[in-house]
Amino acid sequence: MVQRIAGMMASFSGVLMGNSTAPRHWPAWTIYLRTMGLFCLLWYAMSWLTPNKILLPSPLDVASALRDRIDDGELVANATVSLTRLLVSVSIASLIAIPLGLAMGTSRLLEDLLEWPVELLRPIAGIAWIPLALFMFGIGNGLPIFIMIYTAFFPLLLGTAAGVRNVDRRLISAARTMGIPKGTLMRHVIFPAALPSIMTSARLAVAASWTAVVAAELVGAPSGLGYAIEYYRSMLDTPSVMAFIIVIGTLGFLCDAALRSLSAALMPWANAEEKR
Amino acid sequence: MTQQPAPKITLAHVRKEFGGTPAAVVAVDSLSLDIQPGEFLAIVGPSGCGKTTVLNMLAGLEPVTSGTMTMDGKAISGPGAERGVMFQDYALFPWKTVVGNIGFGLDHGPAGHGLSRAEREARVTRAIDLVGLKGSETKYPHQLSGGMRQRVALARLVANEPKILLMDEPLAALDAQTRIILQDELLRIWGQDKPTSERRTVVYITHSIDEAIFLADRVVVLSSHPGRLKRIVDVDLARPRNDETRKSRSFAELSQTIWELIREEAYRATMR
Amino acid sequence: MKHFLIRFATPIVLIALWQLFADAFGSPRIPRPSAVLASAMKLIGSGDLVTALVTSLGRVFSGFMLACAIAIPLGILMGSVRTVERNLDPLVESFRPVAAIAILPLVILWLGTGSMAAIVIVAYAAFFPILINTIAGVKRIDNNLMRAAYTMGVPPATRMWVVLLPAALPAILVGMRIGLGMAWTAIIAAELAVGAKAGGEGGIGQMMFIFYAYSVELNGIVVCMIAVGIVALVLDRILRAALHAAVPWSRL
Repeated sequence: MVQRIAGMMASFSGVLMGNSTAPRHWPAWTIYLRTMGLFCLLWYAMSWLTPNKILLPSPLDVASALRDRIDDGELVANATVSLTRLLVSVSIASLIAIPLGLAMGTSRLLEDLLEWPVELLRPIAGIAWIPLALFMFGIGNGLPIFIMIYTAFFPLLLGTAAGVRNVDRRLISAARTMGIPKGTLMRHVIFPAALPSIMTSARLAVAASWTAVVAAELVGAPSGLGYAIEYYRSMLDTPSVMAFIIVIGTLGFLCDAALRSLSAALMPWANAEEKR
Repeated sequence: MTQQPAPKITLAHVRKEFGGTPAAVVAVDSLSLDIQPGEFLAIVGPSGCGKTTVLNMLAGLEPVTSGTMTMDGKAISGPGAERGVMFQDYALFPWKTVVGNIGFGLDHGPAGHGLSRAEREARVTRAIDLVGLKGSETKYPHQLSGGMRQRVALARLVANEPKILLMDEPLAALDAQTRIILQDELLRIWGQDKPTSERRTVVYITHSIDEAIFLADRVVVLSSHPGRLKRIVDVDLARPRNDETRKSRSFAELSQTIWELIREEAYRATMR
Repeated sequence: MKHFLIRFATPIVLIALWQLFADAFGSPRIPRPSAVLASAMKLIGSGDLVTALVTSLGRVFSGFMLACAIAIPLGILMGSVRTVERNLDPLVESFRPVAAIAILPLVILWLGTGSMAAIVIVAYAAFFPILINTIAGVKRIDNNLMRAAYTMGVPPATRMWVVLLPAALPAILVGMRIGLGMAWTAIIAAELAVGAKAGGEGGIGQMMFIFYAYSVELNGIVVCMIAVGIVALVLDRILRAALHAAVPWSRL
C-alpha cells in the first residue's frame, strides 16, 4: 500500500516535471473489472450496514431484480419503447436539422432569418416544454417524441451550420479552380469537410435526447424506461429501480459507442483524438 | 552575472534508449564530448540524430541509459538553476505577461532566492533592455510576433543568470530576416565582445549548418539512428562575427564540409 | 444594416403571426403573445415568478458549488496521476451515461423531496462535465511548460499552483459552463417531476407543473418557459464573461 502511494506520488511529480508518459502495465479490462469489483464490494458492505433494505439493496438483490425484469419481459419491452422513441426522434431531427444546417451554413439570408429565432428558443430546455406538451399531446408517444426532437434539433442544426462555416476556404477554392459544379461541391467537398462536426453534434444530440426521454417518460408517458423507474419507485421496489438505472446508463453508453464507431467508419481520415 | 568560472561538462560514452527492453530504440550511442567553459558549442545533424535528446539529458530532464554525464566532476541527476533551457517552441506561459514570463524563475525558483523585490524587478528590466522588448512589458505572448516571443524566451533565460545556456533550435520558427538579426543579438548576449572568461557557456541545437557556423566555436556533427558523433568541426572564424563573416570564403568552405558530412543521411531522412 | 433588419424582423414577424393565428383559429385557452404578456406582468407584479426563480437558482448554486468542490480537485488528480485515472476511469465511464434525472427516484427515496434532494441532483448533473473537462485540461497541458518551470528549479507544489492550475483553467471554466447549463436543465426536470409525483416545495419547475395540473393556465406556463430560457442565457453569459475575464490570454 505504502509502495502504491509512493508510486502514485512519483508519477504525480512526473507530471510536474513534464514527463506524463507512463508505461502501461495492465490491460484496460482487468482494471475495469477490479475497480467495479471493489465498487460492488463497497456497495455490498454499505447495504449490509443499512438496516432498511428498501433504502439500499445489495448488488445481489439488484442483480436478481434485473433477472426478474428480464424474465417478466418488462425490461425488454420498456427498453424497446425508449430506444424506438430515441431512434424515431433523432432521425426526424436529423432529417430536418442537417439539411437546414447545410443551407444555413452556405446562405447568408437563411442564417439571418433563422439566427434570432434559434438563439431565442435554444436556451429553453426541452424539458421545460413538458407541461405545455402535456396539453398538446396528452400522455402517450407524442410527448416524449416531441421533447426529444426539440432537444436533438438545436445541437444538430448549429453543429452542421458551424461545420459548414468552418470548412477550410482553400479546399473550396481548390475545388472551384478545378471547375467543379455547385452540387458536386456540396456533396464532395463541403459535406465531407463538415462531417466531423456533424457527427460530434449527433453524439451530443443523442446524449441530450436520451436524458430528455427519461425525464419525459417520468412525467408524461405510460411506458418506457423513465416510466418504469418511477413505477417501481412508487412500488418501493428499489432493486428494480436500480436495475433500470443501470439499463439506462448502459444503453446510453452503447448508443454513444455505436455513434463513435459510425463516425470512425464514415470518416477513416479523421484524427483519432476526436473519437473519444 | 557572477564571475566564477563556468563549469565544464563532460560526456563519456553516453547512450540513451527509449521504450521497453526488447523493443528499445537507441536515440544516442557512445557519445563522448567535452564542453569548455565560455564556449559556444553548436550541435547539428539530420533529423532523428537525437540532438534534442542530448540537450534534454544535459538539462537533466531525461536520465542517460548508460555512460556518464558530469558537470564539474559531479553526475547530472536532474535540472538545476545553473543550467537554463530555452525550448524550441519557447514554452512561454500564456497567462503571464512579458514581465511575468521573464520574472518567472526569479519569482518562483531559486534564481530569485535572496533577492529583494526591487532587485528582481531590476533584473527583469535589464533583461528586457538587453533583448529590446521595451514597450511590450504588459503584453501577453499571444499578442506578440514569433520574433518577439523568441526575445521573451531569451530574456527569461538571461534573467535567471544561468552559467550554461541550453538552447533547442530557438530560431527555427522564425523567418529568415528575423533569424539573422537575432543571431547577431545572441552573440552579443553570449558575450562575443568580452574575454572568454566572461562569456557564458552555450550549447546550441540547430538544424541549420550556416547558423551553427556563424554562432559557434565548435560544431558537433551527429549522425542519425542512432545519434553518434560523426565529427567535431572547429570554427576558426574571427570574432566579433558580422555580415562580412557570412560572405567570407572560409565560411562557405566550412558549410560545404559539414554538408558533405551529413548529406547522405539528410537525403534519407526526407524519405522516412 | 440589411442583415440586422432581417435578423431583427424575423422574431417580430413570427410573434405577430402567432398572435394572428391564435386570435383567428384558436380556442381562448390557447396561449397568445398578448395574454402571455399580461400573465407575465401579473406574475412579476405579485413576486411569485421571482420567488420561484430565486428558489431554483439557490438550489442550482449550492449544487453547482458542491460539484465544483469535488470535481475540480479530483479532475486535477486524475489528470496528473495516470494510476489514479486508470483506476477511477471505469467508475466515471459507468456513471457518466446515467442522466441525473434517472437517479431522481433514488434520491427522492433517500433524501425526500426537499431542497437537499434537488441540490444532489444538480451536483450530479454538473459533476461530470466539470470532471471530464478538468481531466482533459490537465492532460493537454504543454509538457514544455512544466519542463520550463522544472528547469528553473521551481519546487513541485509551486509548479502546481503557478503552472498546472492556470494552464488547465480555461478547460476547467469550459467544463463549469457546460456543467452549469446541465445543472439548470436538471433542476427544471427535478422540480417538474417532484411536482408531478410528490408535491415538492417551490421552484420554477414546480410552478409550471401547478399551472399545468391545477390552474390550467397555459399563458403562465409560457411565461415560465421564457423565464427558464432567459435564466439559462444569463447564466451562460456570466460564465462566458468569467472565462474571458479569467483567461485574457486565450483567443476564444
